[in-house]
Amino acid sequence: MTFLSALLAAETAHEAPKAGAGPLGDIVHLFGSFGVDKAHLTVQVVNFALLAFVLYRFAIKPALGQLEERIRQAEQLQQDRAAAEAQLAAAQKTAEARLVAASDEAAKILADARNAAKAAVEAARAEAQAAQTEVIAKAKAAIEADRVKMMDEVRGEVSRLVVATAAKVLEQDLDDAQRGRLNEAAVKQLAR
Amino acid sequence: MSAASVRAEAKRLLALSLEGGVVSSDRVGAVLAALSKSRPAHQLRPLLRAYLANIRRELARGEARIEHAGPLASSAADAIAAHFSAVLGRAVRPVARRNDALLGGFRVRVGDDVTDLTASLRLANLAKSLS
Repeated sequence: MTFLSALLAAETAHEAPKAGAGPLGDIVHLFGSFGVDKAHLTVQVVNFALLAFVLYRFAIKPALGQLEERIRQAEQLQQDRAAAEAQLAAAQKTAEARLVAASDEAAKILADARNAAKAAVEAARAEAQAAQTEVIAKAKAAIEADRVKMMDEVRGEVSRLVVATAAKVLEQDLDDAQRGRLNEAAVKQLAR
Repeated sequence: MSAASVRAEAKRLLALSLEGGVVSSDRVGAVLAALSKSRPAHQLRPLLRAYLANIRRELARGEARIEHAGPLASSAADAIAAHFSAVLGRAVRPVARRNDALLGGFRVRVGDDVTDLTASLRLANLAKSLS
């Protein structure tokens, strides 16, 4: 600051004799009366430029970089979000499709199971009916066989009794004359 | 001697015992006399049994054994024998025996052939058909 003050003082002393030379000199002189002179202005411009450069270099530029990074991140987030939403929508659609397919499959399996159960019940019923019919037929056959056997036995016994009775009656009642006639008839039968 | 050779020898002896197709008592006596001289006792017994069976069978072939219920006239017996003589092609003589258990009719046996015309057989067949 000391150096700058000395420089400004020397410059002011060097330019003073020229101040009253023309309208520009009047303007300079007028500004000088308000405390604005060229040297100070130059120094301030330089200072401002330095300050602006420093601010831009070390404050504004990093801030802008960060802002751009934030913007980029926000855009990336937005894209990610959109992609995630799209994936979510696709996943939902896939899940709904799978749910529908699973529901259809479950309905089909249920229908198949019902059909299989119905077929099994029908088969068991038919088998039971066939077994019942077979048992009834066997029972009827056994009853019929027993009946036939019993009737045969009764018939045989009755026949045996009838023939035995007839033989006894014939043996007692036939006399020689009748037996002789029977013998003659047998001889005739033999000759035929 | 084996059984087959005994049967063959008995058959040969039977052929020697026939005269005109009929068993002759003279020939049988001659065969027996020859056997008693030519064969030892242990060989003679089975041969004689077989010979006796053959003689009986041959005699039965020439007889019509008639079993009858009640009286049977001799003419009827002769008619029966004549019938079997004609059927068998050899002479058959009647041998009658009464058996009233036959109820009526007669049963004739010639050799191994039996002809049954009795009432008892008809009753038995009737019982069999009814049972």
